[in-house]
Formats: sequence, C-alpha cells, structure tokens
Amino acid sequence: MTELPPAVEVQNLRKVYGNKAAVDGLSLTVAQGSFFGFLGPNGAGKTTTIKMLMGLAPPTSGTIRLLGMAMPEQGLEIKKLIGLVPDESLLFDHLTGGEFVEFVGRMYGLDQKVARERSLELLELFELDGNRKKLINEYSKGMRKRAAMAAALIHRPKLFLMDEPFEGVDAVGARLMKDILLEQVRHGATIFLTSHVLEVVERLCDHVAIINDGKVVVEGSMDELRGASETLEDAFVRAVGMGRTTETLDWL
Amino acid sequence: MNQARAILWAQWRTLLNFYPRGGVAWTAVIGAVWYVCWSVAAIVTARLASDPANLGMLKNVLTGGLLLVFLYWQVMPLLMAATGASLELKKLYIYPIPASQLFSIEVMLRVTAAVEMLLLLVGLAIGLLLNPAVPKWTCLSLAPYILFNLFLAVGLRDLVARILAHKRIREIAFLLLVLCAGLPQLLMVRGPVGDKSIRALFGDSWIGWPWSATANLIERKSIEQSLAILVAWAFAAAVFGYWQFKTSLSFDAEAASATWIPSTRREGLVEKFFRLPSLVFRDPLAALIEKEIRFLVRSPRFRLVFLMGFTFGLVIWLPLALGRSGLAKSALGTNYLTVVSVYSLLLLSEVCFWNSFGFDRSAVQFYFLAPVPFSLVLIGKNLSAVFFILVEISAVTIVCATLGMPLNPVRLGEAYSVAGVLTIFLLGAGNLLSIHQARAVNPATSFRTGAAGRVQAMLFVIYPVASIPAGLAYLARWAFNSEVAFFGVLAFDAVVAIIVYRIALNSAVEAAQRLKESMIAALSSSEGPIAS
Repeated sequence: MTELPPAVEVQNLRKVYGNKAAVDGLSLTVAQGSFFGFLGPNGAGKTTTIKMLMGLAPPTSGTIRLLGMAMPEQGLEIKKLIGLVPDESLLFDHLTGGEFVEFVGRMYGLDQKVARERSLELLELFELDGNRKKLINEYSKGMRKRAAMAAALIHRPKLFLMDEPFEGVDAVGARLMKDILLEQVRHGATIFLTSHVLEVVERLCDHVAIINDGKVVVEGSMDELRGASETLEDAFVRAVGMGRTTETLDWL
Repeated sequence: MNQARAILWAQWRTLLNFYPRGGVAWTAVIGAVWYVCWSVAAIVTARLASDPANLGMLKNVLTGGLLLVFLYWQVMPLLMAATGASLELKKLYIYPIPASQLFSIEVMLRVTAAVEMLLLLVGLAIGLLLNPAVPKWTCLSLAPYILFNLFLAVGLRDLVARILAHKRIREIAFLLLVLCAGLPQLLMVRGPVGDKSIRALFGDSWIGWPWSATANLIERKSIEQSLAILVAWAFAAAVFGYWQFKTSLSFDAEAASATWIPSTRREGLVEKFFRLPSLVFRDPLAALIEKEIRFLVRSPRFRLVFLMGFTFGLVIWLPLALGRSGLAKSALGTNYLTVVSVYSLLLLSEVCFWNSFGFDRSAVQFYFLAPVPFSLVLIGKNLSAVFFILVEISAVTIVCATLGMPLNPVRLGEAYSVAGVLTIFLLGAGNLLSIHQARAVNPATSFRTGAAGRVQAMLFVIYPVASIPAGLAYLARWAFNSEVAFFGVLAFDAVVAIIVYRIALNSAVEAAQRLKESMIAALSSSEGPIAS
C-alpha cells in the first residue's frame, strides 16, 4: 500500500508585512487523518499562516503542499478537496443562511438541486433550519460560525482548514460541532484548526503545534506536549514564555 | 458555467435582500433619469447615422466621437471612482473557480462601468445598419472596439486598484489621476495653442489609434489595415486585462498596505499635533475631537479629498476663471478664492457632513455606550470638521497667493465668511442625515461617494437651500454696491445658521436615541460576491 502524502506540509514559510515578519520560517507537517491544533498567543501568526494555506495571502518565501499538491501551483485541485471555516469577513452578509450554504455548494461544482438539498440537511444538522431565511448579518457570532461550518462540509472535503471555529459558539453548538468534526476524522478527513480555547483543543486534537512570534516553538502529539502531569494550558504558557506572575497596578 | 451562474444568482439574491432596506425607489429614480437621457442620446445617434444625408457630417465627427467614447469608458469611471460592478475576489478566491471563468465574469461586469457608452455605440451600430448608403457589415466594426474598451477597462481597473492599495502611493497616484481631468479643459481654454496640443496628443490623422481604425473601417478606408489594427488593439487589451486580472488574484492587499514603524521623532511631532484640541477644550470634548482628527488623518479616503481640495479644486476652476480674457477681468476670477473654498467644502462634505459615522463605523457603538451625551459626540465631530475646513481654506489661500491670484483682505474675509456660514448650515443638515441615512463606508479602499439614491436626491435640494443665505449676501452687495451690506447680511445669516444648527442638533440627538438599533445595523453591513 502506498503511503499517503501529508495533509499539510510547509517548509520555511515566511510572511513579511512592512518591516515585520508575521510568520518567520515556519515548518510543519500534518499527517492525513489527524486532528491538528495550531495554537499561539494573539498576534503569533496563526491567522496569517491559515490565510497562506487557504491561498488568500501569498507567502513572502517558503513552500506549501496540501494533500501532496503544491500551493498555489495546483491551487484549483487543492481547493476542490478542502473545506474552509474562514475569517467572518468572507461570509456574504446579505444572503440568508440557506442561500449562503447553497451558494458555497455550487461554488464547489455541485448541481444546484444537490446543493440546495444538502444545504437544507446541513442547516438542520447545525440546528439553523429555523433561521434558514434570516440574513447572515442578522446571525449571532456563533450562528455565523455554524453556518460557515455547514458550508465547509457541503462538498465532503478531505481537509478542513478552520480559523477559530468555536469562537462565540455556545456550549450546545460547540458540542455539536465537535461531534461532527470527530466523525469527519473517523472517516479519514484531516482537520487543521486554530483556537484560543485550550480545553477544546485538549479534548479534540491528537497533534498540536504552538507558534509564537511567527515560529513554531513546540510541536508534537498531545501526550508528548502535556508530559506526565501537565495540562495543555501549562504547556502552552511554558512554551510561549508568559509564565510571569500577575502584577497589580496601584490604582486598580 | 455553473459557478458563473451561481455568482450571478448570489449577487441577485444579495440585491433583493439588501435593497428593500436601502430604499430601492430612490436609486431606481435617479438611475432611470440618467439612463433615459443616455438612451435618448443613443436614439438621436441612431437617427443621425441612419440618414444617408448625414454621412459627410458623420465622417467629420466619427474619429473624435469614438475618442470621446474611449476617454469616457476608461477615464471617467476612474475619475469618478465609480468603477461599476466587479468581483469581490477576496471572497471568491477561496473557492475552486478557474481564473479564466472569473475573468469572463469580470469582463461582463465591466459593462456596468460605462453602460452609457455602450448605449451610444449600439445606437450608432443600429443607425449604420439602417443606413441604405452603408454596407450592413460596417455596424460590426464597432464590436472589436467595444471588446477593446471592455478588456482595457478590466486591466486598468485592476492595475489602479493595486496601486491604490499601497498606502504610500495611493493618494498621490489618485491625485495625479484626478488632476489630469483639468488638463483638457485647460488646454482648450488656451485657444489655438490648446487645440494644437489636443491634436498632437491624440493625432486624429494617425491610423494606428483604435478609434481612428474603427472610424476608417466604418468609412471603408484601408479596410484590411484598419481591421488588422483594431483586432491587434483588442487582442493586446485582452492580454493586458487578463494579465492584470491574474496579478490581482494573487495580490496581497494587506501586505501592500502594511505600515512601517515610524521614527520616534516623527511620532513625537505628529502626537503633538493630535493633542492640539486639549489645549483649547476640556475632556470629554477634547478627547472626542482628538479621536476624530487622529482617525481622519489616518483615513486614506479623507486624505485624498483633503488634498484634492487645494489641488484639484484649483485646477478644475482655473480654466473657467482664466477664460479667454484673463484672470483679473472675469467675474469668476475675482471670486476665485471663494469659489474654490466652497468647492473644497463640497469635496469634504461626505466625510465632514453627510455620513460622519460611516467611516469609523464601529465607533458608533461606543458612543452609545459611553457616559457622554450624544450631543457632545456630534459637536466633537462638527468641531473637527470645522478644524479641517479651516485648514483646507487656509491651504487654498496659500496656494492662490503662491500662484499670484488676486487676493486682498476683503476677498479673504469673503471666502472665510461665506464658507463659514455655509458650513454651519451644512453641519446642521449633515447631523440629521448622518443619523437618518447612516451607511457603512470603507475609509481605506472606497473612493466613491457610496451614497444611496435617496441621499443623493436630498443633496440636490440641500446644497441650493443652504446656499440661499450666502446668495442673499451677494444680492445685497449687488443691490447696494456695498461691502458693508454684504458682510452685514452674512453676519445675519450666521446668526440664523447657528439657530438652525441648534434646532437640527437637538433633533439629531433625539433621532439617534430612537434609531440607534437600525443605525448600528446599517453601519455593520458589507457587500456580496460582486462589489459596486
């Protein structure tokens, strides 16, 4: 049996804005079928990295291969196989939830009828069927994330790239999303997500990388990272060097 | 094709979902009047072109007319920054759509940037088709010319959009572009010298230009050569358009607009400038004005219109003021400073008056939450607007003085007083409109008014009405032949303006409390897969 190429493989990835490197020589390999958490403090370069993986921001230097194909050279083939939960600004505010999910399906080449049927089923699965005719800009943050995830699933992708998918999602919604994602991984899909919610990452992910100042500072399986008795939070704080004691301000 | 259909369907749904809330009727009325006028022009063109008796006249005007079509199609959308509909590439690039398909849709959308010219050319084509003295095939000569313009418009738009995404050169590039608008007028007003210059620029006798080649083809002169030239132009434009489109697909606007960390010394000087309001006012008013000044100075759109006030404004009015008789002798020449000052008010008006919440749109939520009276927020915005208007008029005055325009204390006083009275009236109306018709505008990328049809219709009324008091002052000067009468009426106008402003302010504050939910919603909206 031939070995599957990595789902994500980046080498010496660099992205410079003005005179600041947002991502600075990042190298990373994510095996197919894994649930990968990409963590880091604010401004560490997570969103920039995921934007480069999605093809939204060309790297200053370095290479990206997704599912064995080079990005951006084979961008069209890659895009057909990935599902995205992007930044909220990439949603279409003046479409209804139903229209948006159907639109995304048609963008992935699904027949209009199929896209419509699947959008209805997905919205029901994500408990948005009651709000199907509401405009996206009338959705709450959590509902927007659920709509984005429903859209990401419509063409049954092999690789999911998700930027903060649980941000603003309530406990019930988050549970639902977690179950669906785990199911996808069981069926062989790969999930690459960024998140600030370490508890979620700890429960879901089998592999984790922590990025700080544009560089990977720790990478490994969840067990390796946590060590014998540590929580992911302890490992995270230690990795990014923010273990200082809380200082109080005189006036506070 | 499925994806193209899906994009058009999504845009159609976006429009349907959006417009019932945005007042489709006003937009439709304004649009209908405009396009009916152009349709009439197209019918007139068709009738003229269909009559064999007009062939001689047609030959005389064809090259020039086609050149004007080209200029309108390519330059006007850029100057007006109303580049029609275009794909929101950032939102669509994440999906697996071939670049060639996106390009085809983009080319189709380019039609919307200059529908007027398409109407005229179709009118001309129909006229030629109906003209018994002209072979039927000549109407087809216009097809490559239309394609040439379409492809070129795609390329130019993408090129300009990328240039404008660079913070450092955006304003300068756009300013140079708009300054070019004054050139033909300036050349023409200089008489024979200008006529010669225009001829030298566009050379109507040179067959190599696409408009000359099209005209020659219609007139059946050097058919093979003209056709080859025209097809070559259309092909070159297609290559250029596709190349620019592909480059834009992989363009990173965020990287282009990234700022460099400024030096400490420069930062210190700028910081002192921003802190100026604290020398005159107390907090929270000082903080509100300071925040407005900081924000507007950092807003590319505002910087551009501010620069235009004392550059483009001067250039565009100069030819009219000069006339053929010279600056000192023309009526516009003697009132040049006032005219340019008032014009600069119009340029600043969208930011300073009509949509004062639309640029820093997220701040409006804070204003409703902060323990500050909303009237103070509006006063803070108005005072910062007054500050910029004063700086603008001073800049206009300095440029006029540098150029040796006729200036004296009376003219200076006139310019500041007229602009001052007008400003107070416009601030009053603007406060009301900013609350009732708030709309989201991107201060970084938007270079068009973005005003809804209803607002545009209201502005047609507001400007003349707000100008009446200043007009009365000029009437008094003319009737009594006295500067005292002029300034006396202006002083009275100022008192009335302040009363009107106070009433409008109270009304705006009351409306803001009542409409805050819809206002916040309107300021939070964004566009669909096709932006206009």
